[in-house]
Amino acid sequence: MLQDIAQLRQQAETEIASVATAEHVEAFRVKFLARKGTIAALFDALKTVQPQDKPALGKALNELRTYVQQLVDAKASALQTRPAATSSLDLSLPGRRQYLGKKHPVTQTLDEITSIFVSMGFGIADGPEIEDDYHNFEALNFPPDHPARDMQDTFFVSRTALLRTHTSPVQVRVMEQHQPPVRVIMPGKVYRNEAINARSYCMFHQIEGLCVDRGVTFSELKGTLIAFIKKFYGSSTKYRFRPTFFPFTEPSADIYISCFICSGKGCRICKQAGWLEILGCGMVDPNVFKSVGYDAEKYTGYAFGMGIDRIALLRYGIDDIRLYFENDVRFLNQF
Amino acid sequence: MRILQSWLHDYISFSLPPEELAEKLTMLGLEFESVERLGDKYRGFVVGKVLSCAPHPNAEKLTVCLVDVGRQTLQIVCGAPNVAAGQKVAVGLPGASVPKNQHDPSGPPFVLSRVKIRGVESAGMICSEFELDLGKDAAGIVVLDPRAKTGQSLSTHLGFDDVAYDVEITPNRPDWLSHIGIAREIGILVKRKSRLPRVRLKESGVPISRFLSVRVEDKTNCPRFAARMIRGVRIGPSPAWMQERLRNAGLRPRNNVVDITNYVMLECGHPLHAFDYALLRGRAIVVRQAAAGLRFTTLDGKEHALPDGTVMVCDADREVSIAGVMGGANSEINDATVDVVLEAAYWNPSSIRRTAKALGISTDASQRFERGADPHAVHYALERSASLVLELAGGTLLKGKIDVYPKKIRERVVSLRPARVNAVLGTTLKPDRVAAYLRLLEIRPVRGKGGTLRCTVPSYRVDVQREIDLIEEVARVYGYDRIEPKTSAFVDFDQPFPRTRAADGVRNALVGAGFTEAITISMQDEGRARSDGKQPVRILNPLGQEMAFLRTSLVPGLLDVVQRNQSYGNFDLRFFEIGHVFREDPEAPGRLIGDYAEEERVAIILAGNVAPRHWSQPPRKTDLFDLKGAVADHVEKITLDKCRFISYSTSDGLTDNTLAIEIHGSYAGYLGQVKQSFVTRAGIEGEIFVAEVSLASLKPGGEKKYEQLPRFPRVRRDISTFVDVSVSVGSLERAIVKAAGELLVGVELFDVYVGEKAPPGKKSLAFTLELMSRQKTLTDAEIDATVREVVGALEQEFGALLRSVQ
Repeated sequence: MLQDIAQLRQQAETEIASVATAEHVEAFRVKFLARKGTIAALFDALKTVQPQDKPALGKALNELRTYVQQLVDAKASALQTRPAATSSLDLSLPGRRQYLGKKHPVTQTLDEITSIFVSMGFGIADGPEIEDDYHNFEALNFPPDHPARDMQDTFFVSRTALLRTHTSPVQVRVMEQHQPPVRVIMPGKVYRNEAINARSYCMFHQIEGLCVDRGVTFSELKGTLIAFIKKFYGSSTKYRFRPTFFPFTEPSADIYISCFICSGKGCRICKQAGWLEILGCGMVDPNVFKSVGYDAEKYTGYAFGMGIDRIALLRYGIDDIRLYFENDVRFLNQF
Repeated sequence: MRILQSWLHDYISFSLPPEELAEKLTMLGLEFESVERLGDKYRGFVVGKVLSCAPHPNAEKLTVCLVDVGRQTLQIVCGAPNVAAGQKVAVGLPGASVPKNQHDPSGPPFVLSRVKIRGVESAGMICSEFELDLGKDAAGIVVLDPRAKTGQSLSTHLGFDDVAYDVEITPNRPDWLSHIGIAREIGILVKRKSRLPRVRLKESGVPISRFLSVRVEDKTNCPRFAARMIRGVRIGPSPAWMQERLRNAGLRPRNNVVDITNYVMLECGHPLHAFDYALLRGRAIVVRQAAAGLRFTTLDGKEHALPDGTVMVCDADREVSIAGVMGGANSEINDATVDVVLEAAYWNPSSIRRTAKALGISTDASQRFERGADPHAVHYALERSASLVLELAGGTLLKGKIDVYPKKIRERVVSLRPARVNAVLGTTLKPDRVAAYLRLLEIRPVRGKGGTLRCTVPSYRVDVQREIDLIEEVARVYGYDRIEPKTSAFVDFDQPFPRTRAADGVRNALVGAGFTEAITISMQDEGRARSDGKQPVRILNPLGQEMAFLRTSLVPGLLDVVQRNQSYGNFDLRFFEIGHVFREDPEAPGRLIGDYAEEERVAIILAGNVAPRHWSQPPRKTDLFDLKGAVADHVEKITLDKCRFISYSTSDGLTDNTLAIEIHGSYAGYLGQVKQSFVTRAGIEGEIFVAEVSLASLKPGGEKKYEQLPRFPRVRRDISTFVDVSVSVGSLERAIVKAAGELLVGVELFDVYVGEKAPPGKKSLAFTLELMSRQKTLTDAEIDATVREVVGALEQEFGALLRSVQ
């Protein structure tokens, strides 16, 4: 019996060497390992041997079975790793695709900006798009009959109600409802009564920011917004704060960054200036604090605002703002 | 505002190159649109001297000239009949761009090169007035002053070397709407004071009061009105230097007197008006408000219906000028004018603004007065213009001036605490430095109690009224770029504001599920705005009728998106939009503004095939159940609540086969197939499915709480049954749930069959029941009993015929 086992082992080794296809591997397996195979026949024969020989022979047979199984496995995997030259599956057939969704490029930009300010400790607030004159203008230190109102052409829905021209009224609503400290950004749609063309649209998106507490300074405003610029535009971006005028902040500044298209050399996009205006900001005007009932002696604060559509326009090199609102999938899928 | 460098030099000397000047002033708050070297137009043009002229060997009308252009002598072929040796002429060198082409009068400039004309070399061009864009004469060349320097650049010779700065002026700085205003800012840079010219007037012995009286009835809107009178002027063109400055500054020269008023305005910022004395009736000027409904013709020939309360300058009988806005046609300076009345007044800014707004006109005068002119500048403006009239138009000045100024406007005194400067700016400036910066601005600080600076502000600085305005001035002069950036890195996590928006989760989920985000405009035409039956909000001053209403639903905008994409050949579309919708509804709860209800919604729209085409299977068109499934998936994912669909039929609304969507037990929105009429109107092909849900109802589920996973197996039984075709799956499902009791954890329809193998009028429905107990493994007997209950209920309630249980 031991001899039979040794002989079978040798036979298996010889035969496996000549096996070249998956079918042959299967035939080999059936021959040796199947329920009616040669090894099974020897197991059957085990019943007839002397009881004292059974343990040793049984062990040897088990070892043989394991060994042959290993031969089969090794051969099978060796054959599998070869190129499936004979396979009928055409792997160049296209895979099964899904429709994949995309966020609008304006939203993508807005999300990125939002996340930077959220990481700096700002919360998020919003407000209505139909506003009253008080929140959109008067509480923000635009007195009636003031030429500053010409800075923002307004759509009216009644004598006192209008489509908000900026997200700044949300500042007022936030301060009306909360005492300092306040640190919040306010994204949203705004409307201006301006003719539609490649460069301007009557609806766009802004992010407003507001921070009010004791001891908030212009220095802090600069620090925060420079941190934003470096995160969003890259740490080597040059910037400058230029004095300007907004009714609701004083001192006020426009922030320019070095043009990232021409790296400051001057191009069509930056009108040869080498600088791009990206943000308006300033210290909250005491008159705004007065309209929301904050003590301007106790608290100071800064506010800022930026137009998302334009930032995305520059960033992606889009030359016509109207593309945003046409929602052509060939456009939207590029972002 | 156009500012000329040569003009600035009249008030301050400086030698900064133009770009550097613009850059430095930018950092002081002026915004430069452009810096234009006026001489650039004549780059490559020089003064040449014609040395000799010889006839062209091959052309009768041409002359071959040798021209000295300074460093060299050029041979130039000239076609002009008037060219002659010894002339000084304007020569365009090869490479120069000639502004105008006399063979193509409205064409573009053309560039000169060395050419052969009929076989003779010609290196440049001797130009005509027309070609240089200096006038209309195209018949011959320009012959320059014989004293012109040969070889000098033409622009220098013509005095065109000026630089024009285009400056955007913010509404708080009317003082910058003048050359002296900009010169004062340059004074800060070069640490010198700018000066207006001193005015000396020679008056005659005859007092003005003998000829003119002024009465101000509306003292509120006219705090100051001053006048001078000059007799015997000669109206004619103003001198070339003044015309050139006005033209380069963007104003059209008219006649000497009118030009002087404009010139003085651009010099000192104060608008003036000149009347023809002969046209003023009754030797009187009266300032009063116009009677309602009055019609008045301004000097530009336009007739205006004056709004009630318009402040007017009148003579004894009638209105002669809209105060501070525009003069009248009935009294303007004309060629026959002999005696001139000059008006310099100070008007109430808001009154001027109201008038200009109501009339829809904006003039150089109204822009300055509505922003706030300087009441103290009245004197200078009047004296300066009178002296220029005497100088340039002759005549004699009557003695004295009329100055109705009952309540003197004093210079403002504003207190500034130096410590406050540092508290706002984050700087560490000493009080002396603060005071020094203010003095650069001609603000005069005096140390008061407790170190407070009592600052006297020049009257032209209408924007400086409060302490914060002074702080801004200090920051500006100190330099924004010198204020050190700091971040406190202080994060207040205990604030009441969320860190994500409600829309974020919804948007992320939909993008993940293959929907693309659209953003459409909130304004649309009346038809679209009314399509869902709500009362839309009308825009009073729309860009056009197609944008005259606010959307009441996101769906019409998305239909237009589908239409546009279909027109580009894309038919398989899955879009969503998140945005506000508006309606007029006095009953709506939670309104913030008037009767306007505003709500943030999300809408999804499906069109075309349900999945990208693939070779392995035929394409399938999207249907209502793709939409219903998507809505159920997302509502459950976001709210952690099952959403319920309730069928309802209504004739208004945008959809057929509409289902109301209920979340947390209240109405959240609807879904359905867009009505054919809207699909047709939008120009769309195929069936379109939409859902629109209020974002507020998609709030993330409340507290998330773990529930023990079941420890006992779940068994499935499939029940297949025939029922009448009219029986709804929903009612059958409800009956199954009720009959099966608490062991039922799930019921799912897996097959619907209508066809020949079913008895007539019947359909086959097959459900899988999932049964489980949380206490034990169910026995076959328990399972069978539950199934029997279910089958019994279906038989009893619906007359169902059981086909099989597996």
